Amino acid sequence: MFAIDYRALVLRSIAWIVFPWLTVVAFADENEALIQWGKSFQEKVLPIIEKKCLSCHSGETPDGEFDLSKFPNGEAAIAAGDAWERVAKRVRLNEMPPQGSPGLTDPEKGAFHRWVDSRPNQDLCHQLASDETQSWYRGYVMSRRLTRYEYSCAIRDLTGYHVQDEMLPPSDGAGGLGFDTVGDALFTSEIHLEAYLRVALASVDSMIARAPTLGPSKMSREEDQVRIARFAKHAWRRPIETPEVDRLMSLYDRTQSIKQVYQAILLSPHFLFVLEPEPDTSGVQRLTPHQFATRMALLVWSSVPDEELLTIADRGEIFEPEVIRSQLRRMLADERARAIGENFGLQWLGLKDLALTYPDREVFSDFDPQLTADAIEETVRTVSGVFRDGKPLSDLLQSNYVIVNSRLAKHYGIDESKVLDSNATETKATDSNGTASIAGQTPWRTVSVANGQRGGVPTMASVLIKASYPRRTSPVLRGRWILEELLGSKVPPPPPNVPSLDEGGSVATTASLRERLELHRQKPECASCHQRMDPLGFGLENYDAIGRWRTDDSGVAIDASGTLPSGESFSGPAELKKLLMARKDEFQLHAVRKLVGFALGRDLNKFDQCIIDSSIKRLKEENRADVILEEVLFSYPFQHRYYSKAKTSP
Amino acid sequence: MRTDQSRPGISRRRLLRGAGVALTLPWMESLRIANGAAKTVSSKPPVRTAFIYFPNGVWEKAWVPETTGADYTLSPSLEPIADVRDSVLVVSGLDKKNSHGGDGHYAKTANFLTGMPVAKTTGKDISSGGISIDQRIAERFRGQTPLPSLELGTEPVISGIDSNVGYTRLYGSNISWQSATRPVAKEINPRMVYERLFGKSITASTASAEASAESYRNLLDFVLEDAKGVRSRLGRDDQFKLDEYLDSVRGVEQRIEFATKNSESRRDFNLLPAESLALAKPGVPGDFREHIQIMLDLMVLAFQSDATRVSSFMFANDVSGRNFSFLDGVSGGHHELSHHENNESKIAQYQRINRWHTEQFANLLRKLKSIPEGESTLLDHCMIVFGSSMSDGNRHDPDNLPILVGGKGGGTLQTGQHVAVEGMVPLCNLYLTMLQKMGFEDPQFGDSNGTIAGI
Repeated sequence: MFAIDYRALVLRSIAWIVFPWLTVVAFADENEALIQWGKSFQEKVLPIIEKKCLSCHSGETPDGEFDLSKFPNGEAAIAAGDAWERVAKRVRLNEMPPQGSPGLTDPEKGAFHRWVDSRPNQDLCHQLASDETQSWYRGYVMSRRLTRYEYSCAIRDLTGYHVQDEMLPPSDGAGGLGFDTVGDALFTSEIHLEAYLRVALASVDSMIARAPTLGPSKMSREEDQVRIARFAKHAWRRPIETPEVDRLMSLYDRTQSIKQVYQAILLSPHFLFVLEPEPDTSGVQRLTPHQFATRMALLVWSSVPDEELLTIADRGEIFEPEVIRSQLRRMLADERARAIGENFGLQWLGLKDLALTYPDREVFSDFDPQLTADAIEETVRTVSGVFRDGKPLSDLLQSNYVIVNSRLAKHYGIDESKVLDSNATETKATDSNGTASIAGQTPWRTVSVANGQRGGVPTMASVLIKASYPRRTSPVLRGRWILEELLGSKVPPPPPNVPSLDEGGSVATTASLRERLELHRQKPECASCHQRMDPLGFGLENYDAIGRWRTDDSGVAIDASGTLPSGESFSGPAELKKLLMARKDEFQLHAVRKLVGFALGRDLNKFDQCIIDSSIKRLKEENRADVILEEVLFSYPFQHRYYSKAKTSP
Repeated sequence: MRTDQSRPGISRRRLLRGAGVALTLPWMESLRIANGAAKTVSSKPPVRTAFIYFPNGVWEKAWVPETTGADYTLSPSLEPIADVRDSVLVVSGLDKKNSHGGDGHYAKTANFLTGMPVAKTTGKDISSGGISIDQRIAERFRGQTPLPSLELGTEPVISGIDSNVGYTRLYGSNISWQSATRPVAKEINPRMVYERLFGKSITASTASAEASAESYRNLLDFVLEDAKGVRSRLGRDDQFKLDEYLDSVRGVEQRIEFATKNSESRRDFNLLPAESLALAKPGVPGDFREHIQIMLDLMVLAFQSDATRVSSFMFANDVSGRNFSFLDGVSGGHHELSHHENNESKIAQYQRINRWHTEQFANLLRKLKSIPEGESTLLDHCMIVFGSSMSDGNRHDPDNLPILVGGKGGGTLQTGQHVAVEGMVPLCNLYLTMLQKMGFEDPQFGDSNGTIAGI
């Protein structure tokens, strides 16, 4: 208790030192505007909520886990902040109030939207969430260990050793916006340490086997010392000071050569953790050049910086915008940038666990684990390709090309001959992190597709498999996937004890499934979600549960038409994707938020809005996905860190 | 950047001695060798405990026996334990009150063994509310066996967060918690488990085990110093993260120390389990059933060789969509069928999946029973909790949990009966009862409010 009070006290005084002008001047103006905004909530919006919303969104089990009775006055409404943007979006799309319950009148809608839009804006571009604001804006970047994926990439780049999957530490969970780069969700157990030990031994052995000069008694102590210092600098991503080198040399033994020293370097927290130690003064500080180089390499390569990047950091030039730009271009051209697809992409799209989705081979004799691997590879190449080749981000929604090998081409039933780009992608085939054995055997090609049946993420086998049940498709799961993973909408889980919807066994016909779902949607408590999900999912009914094209299901013709709550209707995947393209803005906003969350390794807060706004602006102007990475690298939150002095250690 | 790492290191071995870590020989070895090396030779085999979790609940009507007492009638889902029913305690009516509310799955899985409230978070301040029962037991035996505990599973941690319910999905992948804020990662690869148990990786590469142990010590001492050096310069939360690293390094050190001291006896154990050794092939088995069998065999092996006294095992992560069509009459995934919506056909399939899990549990008990130990069997010295963190998968209810306990706990547990407790009795009351039977003096565990009488 005492400690907490003390801490709060100290922090408050720190904030006064760091932002005296903010706490006095800016906050005063801002407060006035916010208070006005809160008043207008009470006068104009609260009555609407009480009349039209509270009957469902209150009580012990509010619908959608969203309890509007928690906002009985202006202050509570102000504290809810961004939540109103989401409410506004649902209302704008006519998704709320749901069909079957009394809707908002036009004046009511107008009053509500005017109020949301009048929320006072602040210039937040050059601020970070501090401990002062932590209770509202949770999560700041912390020193964390490398993730399993980063670790395997870093070992590869440092030692040339491709770590087999089974030798790696256990997989990681996720936090923040759903990424394993969030330090809060990364833990270290003994089995991690055992894996680090295992890999350190094996990778150094393999280095020595490949480069005999590293072996015992091959070089003089002085020469070995130089190599050791260089290796430590690469692995620890910073200059190594003389006392550190001396200490490392205490493990040196000419009969064993550099072996144990290299092992220690790879086992040290300086390698395993992304450490950003406290500078002498606390508060918001810019990162050191080497810390920034590390964050940059982790973002683009999921690995350690290379020599060039470290040299630029040594020279202190790394924060210069032109340098950032040219380094980013260089890094994207490098094979290692595949990581954007494999690490960020798969986590964003919820496909990291695809190998745990098990289509039933009794129903789908075409299925085997290699199909999953190929489908993943397609997604990795497509997502990373968009960033690496500076293509429009919206290519991920709809494009006139696919990147396939011949297995997938056959699976998709597309003509392989229309090769757009085989060389560029064939070289990429060799970079699949060696052990993954996913790419390789058959060349990967970019092939043009015209009719809208393929091209874009929604019609990829990976997604279609992921959002299916083992023996059949599910329009509900697929619709949910599009809404949540692509458009960034929220789809709450069904309330407990909902009346049964029998979505049908494996032999159910699509026609009756559609009828049952329509019946289901007549109930308001079901309609609010299903009227949004189901039509989107039905638009993908032309693909079976392993992503093959089909025109009938057990003899019943597929009806891939749908009508959204907004009244828009469509038929078939091509039109569905056209409709998604019309909602491109939502998609881009969501993708940008995800990438920023991945890059920063935490949940986002209002101080990050600036990166999102500038990314969106540039996406509109330049229409190339790589500008987001540039904006992240330029941004204040990515280049800075909030330091709060640690208390005396317990 | 300041570097201050040239200080002379504290001798880690002195630290170990100072901490008074008593390293005793495994139980069987103590008896067999019976020379001065063993400090505390107990004539009674130690009690081994395991906590086995299966996801997605059960169809209660086919699970809970209708009658209680010793002559209760087995329910359809419990029929597989018929031939070992004398060694099984069926407990019904247990409740996890801290899982009412919250989310359908995540808030129920993470605290299966802690009983405490799970923090609703997508990352910041992850907490399972408290230490898990297996880790509480592991704490006690740390240093007495090569491994303080053995955490096993079959699936990697679920990635991502559930932004709707506001929970990180890692909650659904972890039942073992070293503390409220620190989950213990589980091993899913049988070969790695085998290597942990028998130290293959530690002794294979160098000529002499002693020499390699010495070089490991040097390595670990070195990085421990690194970690201590940098720790003081980190922010508070960051220090916690580094503490995990420090503790892990120390844990591995203790094991190497243990292996060195007991290298002779450990080698003997390698000869023991011939048929299980054959199963320790590289990689994760493609077949789920094979995977389960190997993992449970490894658990048996660990107990038999006294490599650890406590283990946890997750058949699968929560919300697992594992396709169970390999069972006759089942077509679909586990989670999908657990949402049976009171549809008869789905219930039948759901129940078949429940029963399959019970079969695996019964197989485990039979194996433990086939191993003689002292004057009885290994099973008699075990307490194996087997259960799920919700009752009906369609309703996600955390009450009337399906819980079985196999093994007589060294003669302390009254098995062979069905006990139906009533009135919101916490699951932790069972855990507390188990602790006390093992001689722990803990007055309370998790949300316990007493013990369970008559078992």
